[in-house]
Amino acid sequence: MTMIEVNNLTKKFGEFYSIQKVDLQINKGEVFGFLGPNGAGKSTTIRHLMGFLQPTEGRCFIKGLDCRQSTAEIQKFIGYLPGEIAFIDKMTGQQFIKFIAQMRGLHDLTRAHELMQYFELNATGLIKKMSKGMKQKVGLVCAFMHNPEIVILDEPTSGLDPLMQTKFIEFILAEKEKGTTIFMSSHMIEEIEKTCDRVGIINAGKIVATETIADLKKRKSKKFLIEFHNEQELSRFLEEPFKIEKIGPTKAIVKVQGNVQTLLPTLANYQILDLDVISQSLEDIFMHYYEKGGTES
Amino acid sequence: MNFTLLKHEMLATVKLFCIILAVLMLYIISIVYMYNPEMSNTLKQLTATMPEMMAAFGMSNIGDSLIEFLSTYLYGFLLLILPLVFMIMLANKLIMGYIDNGSMAYLIATPNTRFKIVFTQAFFLVASIFILLSTTTLATIIFSEILFPNELDITAFLTLNIGLFFLHFAISGYCFLVSCSSKDLRTSYAYSTGVPILFYLIEALGNMGGSLEKLQYFTIYSLFDPEKLMAQDSSSIWMLGALFLIGMLCYMLAIRVFVKRDLYL
Repeated sequence: MTMIEVNNLTKKFGEFYSIQKVDLQINKGEVFGFLGPNGAGKSTTIRHLMGFLQPTEGRCFIKGLDCRQSTAEIQKFIGYLPGEIAFIDKMTGQQFIKFIAQMRGLHDLTRAHELMQYFELNATGLIKKMSKGMKQKVGLVCAFMHNPEIVILDEPTSGLDPLMQTKFIEFILAEKEKGTTIFMSSHMIEEIEKTCDRVGIINAGKIVATETIADLKKRKSKKFLIEFHNEQELSRFLEEPFKIEKIGPTKAIVKVQGNVQTLLPTLANYQILDLDVISQSLEDIFMHYYEKGGTES
Repeated sequence: MNFTLLKHEMLATVKLFCIILAVLMLYIISIVYMYNPEMSNTLKQLTATMPEMMAAFGMSNIGDSLIEFLSTYLYGFLLLILPLVFMIMLANKLIMGYIDNGSMAYLIATPNTRFKIVFTQAFFLVASIFILLSTTTLATIIFSEILFPNELDITAFLTLNIGLFFLHFAISGYCFLVSCSSKDLRTSYAYSTGVPILFYLIEALGNMGGSLEKLQYFTIYSLFDPEKLMAQDSSSIWMLGALFLIGMLCYMLAIRVFVKRDLYL
């Protein structure tokens, strides 16, 4: 069953296309990652899903309901975390959470308390004086406290410290177990990799690719920075059948696609000082798709 | 109508409301207190020394009755400007304040239609002005009756205040429209403050007479004429009608604009 459907969605500002012909389908129980650099159109797409913006062209649906027409109906089963952290000043976190719950007609706050405990949030202070991470937690509680069927999160981990990011990933996986459909945007590939089933990659307003995480991982090449004991070792290594880039007298970067197994036995024959994994950035992934001219599935 | 939101706005506005009301009360009580034949003679002398200055604030012809005295000193400046300050601050806070700081996202991400949200805010704005003016009206009547029993023509005074409410209803509609349609809080404040103040200044200059007199027919304040209202002149009926119409149109348009507009939240 398709929970979220985006058809040919286009938003134009003057002559500039913020997003162009975006198509997405997200199924029930799926965790979908929406990946792209800043300004690629992630938030614009999400704002359309929330019914905040009128599309120039195309439409989007949540559970078959038009996102622009049935906003109030849709909000009943949706949880939303805005990309911009903004609350009503002069309220404490608890007051705000209670206020939003009442606006939803939600009287049972047990889930909210569970969430506050899980995220270690002490919300008794004024929101104005909270740190970015604490505010983000308040937002997360508001997004999940009514046990929504579908959750839309716009860069959920921004502001969270690494420990909390890990906790958040565990939390998302638990929600996935419960069958919640999750749509989350991010510019960090690692967190998408750990949580999502499928990923949509957007750049400059266009969907570059949508594929499963397994495919993405397969296609993703790994880079290793290797420091050799001396120059002779390196020049000997350069003969090996790998994609090697020499970056210093004793340093080189090796690019391995898919299986790392082939590299390791070879390396055993060399005297190595250091071995480092270079995490692949978003740009590398994009380069990959640009080289291929973009695949659309 | 969303009562949770209404309650929240009430709590958030009570401070501003009380400050404005307190200042108004202070002036009303002192002006009523000042009413006595001798005192008005002194004021007449003051008017004679600088007629243009006093005329600018609608204080040209001081009547002998209490109601004329009140209408001259309260309904030419204080009861126009202080409620205006209140309306501008409130109208901007109720819609643009939330849009500008982004918290509108949370309000409309609840199962409430945008119409419901904006209608609640519009209702709250009108109700606040109504309560503010009712309180001042009631207070003036009570205080006048205590100090000068049977001096105040209550029917005429009520008509005057109904006129004042309609005037503020129309202006608040304009402020609300600006708040719903602007792109940010600064622009919203600029237009919702600038235009009414400009109108008021034109009106004030027009009152001073001379070549500027014709100008005042272009301002909304010309639709509020205390003398005609107190006399229950037939032309005051269509003036009230015009103010009501302007207000309704502004509010309806504001609601429509807010429901349809793009929100970057």
